[in-house]
Amino acid sequence: MTKGKWLQFILDRMIWLILILVVIFFTIRIGGKFLSGTTLINVLLHASVLGVLTIGQTICLLSGNFDLSAEGIVSLLTVLAAWLMLPYREMTLAQAGGIGWELSPYIVIPLMLVLGTFIGWINGILITRLRMNNFIVTLAMQLFLRGIAYVISLGAIMPGTPKDFNWLGGGRIGAIPVSVIFTLILFLVFEFFVRYARFGRELYAVGANRDAARASGFNPEKTVTQAYMIGGFMAALAAWMLLGRLEVSVPTLGQGMTLETVASAVIGGVALSGGSGSIMGAFSGVLLLSVVDTGLNMMEVDPFWITGVRGLIILVALLLEVQKSRIRVDMLAGRAKSPVVRS
Amino acid sequence: METLSSNVILEMKGISKAFPGVQALNNVDLTVLEGEIHGLVGKNGAGKSTLMAILMGLHSLDSGELIINGRLITNVTPREALEAGIAYVPQQVRMMDSLTVAENILAGNLPVNRFGLVDWEAAFKDAEERLHRLGLELDVRQRVEGLGVVEQTMLAIAKALFSNARLIILDEPTAALARADIERLFGFIRSLKNMGVAFIYISHHLEEVFEICDRVTVLRNGQQVGTYEVKDLDIPHLIRLMVGEEIRDYERQSTCQDEVVLEVRGLTRRGHYEDVSFTVRKGEVVGLSGLAGSGAAALGRALFGLERRGVGEVWLKGKPFTAKSPREALDKGLAYLPQDRYRFGLVGIRPVRENITYTILHQLLNALRFVSFRKENEVVQKYIEALEIVCTSPEQRVGLLSGGNQQKVIFAKLAATRPSVLILHEPTQGIDVRAKLDIYRIVDELASQGIGVLIISSEVRELLGVCDRILVMYKGRISAEFRSGEPQTTPENILLAIEGGNAHDQRQVAAVYS
Repeated sequence: MTKGKWLQFILDRMIWLILILVVIFFTIRIGGKFLSGTTLINVLLHASVLGVLTIGQTICLLSGNFDLSAEGIVSLLTVLAAWLMLPYREMTLAQAGGIGWELSPYIVIPLMLVLGTFIGWINGILITRLRMNNFIVTLAMQLFLRGIAYVISLGAIMPGTPKDFNWLGGGRIGAIPVSVIFTLILFLVFEFFVRYARFGRELYAVGANRDAARASGFNPEKTVTQAYMIGGFMAALAAWMLLGRLEVSVPTLGQGMTLETVASAVIGGVALSGGSGSIMGAFSGVLLLSVVDTGLNMMEVDPFWITGVRGLIILVALLLEVQKSRIRVDMLAGRAKSPVVRS
Repeated sequence: METLSSNVILEMKGISKAFPGVQALNNVDLTVLEGEIHGLVGKNGAGKSTLMAILMGLHSLDSGELIINGRLITNVTPREALEAGIAYVPQQVRMMDSLTVAENILAGNLPVNRFGLVDWEAAFKDAEERLHRLGLELDVRQRVEGLGVVEQTMLAIAKALFSNARLIILDEPTAALARADIERLFGFIRSLKNMGVAFIYISHHLEEVFEICDRVTVLRNGQQVGTYEVKDLDIPHLIRLMVGEEIRDYERQSTCQDEVVLEVRGLTRRGHYEDVSFTVRKGEVVGLSGLAGSGAAALGRALFGLERRGVGEVWLKGKPFTAKSPREALDKGLAYLPQDRYRFGLVGIRPVRENITYTILHQLLNALRFVSFRKENEVVQKYIEALEIVCTSPEQRVGLLSGGNQQKVIFAKLAATRPSVLILHEPTQGIDVRAKLDIYRIVDELASQGIGVLIISSEVRELLGVCDRILVMYKGRISAEFRSGEPQTTPENILLAIEGGNAHDQRQVAAVYS
């Protein structure tokens, strides 16, 4: 039995093991430079916006639903925020200013957060009350929001966001970016929240078995809607962070990040079927993707290859996940290849 | 007997089959003749399904012989069974619903024209002719999902015949049918019988067995009681054969008090139940039994807020009671153990600990509104010990426990809410004998704490052992009531009432026993 427990222990932490192996690989190929503080910061910086979005995605996945709308929210809110904050300017060379209201960041930031949460609520209502398919609803929402972003910006970029806005994405405390610290704190807070708060229990129960959750006195519709509201809120935070780092709004911001968030969660052991996985697991997935991206960049690998490698990593992660459950089942049924007494 | 002289299609001789811990079948014989409708009856767990599974090649047999059309087959595979002409038509027919009747009939053999495209006119004509030969008139252009249940069943039978079936196993074909549809189905079956097709007819509705079958084989606890000509039997006699001389395996002391905790008055939901009235007292255990579709199951779900309840009054502890959701029902003091524990009872991939406390999380929060592990563990430990839940630790996934222990986890979850009324729906289904006794003990214990318990079950013997009173529902109405300890409270009488037997039949039973 202890043997089984050991195997279980290692299987549950497989992703961290792989992360270590990947780091060793890059250290050998690139040299000590890969282990420097700068690289670490680069990795974490890379992981910050993706990480914040992945938290939201993970919470939706735990509830048994996809949220494909998050990158649409990022796209709309970055454009909207720049448009509301920047002074008016005629469009030149595909660059433009805002509407000219020059709203304070301290009005715009809360507005973004409220709007993101509200969009999440709409997703939730469409999915739970109107019983529409979560995949299609959030995909359509992504397209719709990105469309509005194009309409507002006319496809132009809007550079020069105010300093009071940029501190989250671009600020540093000493050598450490504020966004890195903020993201790490968010992961810890949400890990704690999902693990210990009543909402977390509901989330896992609803995601794993909606009917049983209802019969146990939970309200699955409410829980799923709340998960989407958190997803929308996190997307708004990510938008704030991203715009603050770039100091320029581009309507294509966030494009392609949805799949990265799903991939990170899956690599980190979050089940697409819902009810299984953890926030810290998803964090390990984010880290793995970031380490690989950063490492391959430092090796000056062709960027097209980087995309391919990511695809491979996701496949391998899924393969491991399937093998893991198979090994578990085998252990239970006494079918393990290790010598087990058979009747 | 003219039927006995006809050809034997199937002979099963001395069939035995054991599963770990259970002798499912012991030396069972079954002979089916050409053009015969052969009833197969027995209570749940008597071995009907196992016997049929062996015939269809789904289970291997431990010993015995299987002779199909005079050919001895030692260990039949599903493919061989099909080729030998044995077909199974389940209660819920599965077909390609969104395709037309013709496509379902012709399946992989749709006629094609010279361009390699389907020749629809020829296909429809072919399908129509085939059905016509069986005397079945259906619109072959219609999608199967548009057919009624009885038409789907008849189509499934026809389809089996087109693939050369000679013996068709009908498993509870009438469970979801109205009387007029049953007549139609029976007419169709009789006309096929006259063409020489043989049927094995499995049903809990004994009156139907008398209506349609020629002979009937009775199983009890994996043993064959016998095979009888239906005309030599009557319903009470058949029930006696099914029940046998049983000893009660559980006896309890009544803890019934005077105070009424649940009162249902004139509850009606069309198509489910009508004018249902009953009471459950504090500490009382009331059984509610009936055939599938009798309304007993729907009543339980409706009281818990899982389905619409319809019109009528429900009083809980003297106050009017309504529940739009399970949460509301639990908060007001009514808890419900669902029949399908995998779907409604448990979150299988989550730990035992979480499953026990789902219903009472709001009571376990600390000042910061987080779940207090100390409080939670106290509750979990208390119930694991009290109900003797066997698990490696509270962190074990509940889906990995045995059926009995899973059921105990659900009991723990419900008991933790301290309900006034507990409704149990088939609480011992699919769990082993020892665990059943544990469950009865738990029910007993909860009743002695003053909880009013309503057990919805088709296990008459179980109800007799554990209940103070047994109510029987038939076609949506409460049709009979049996009190523990009274002379007419016998398994035979209760089964008879469940079957919808009238007073005349009951007198017959009384005559049998006097």
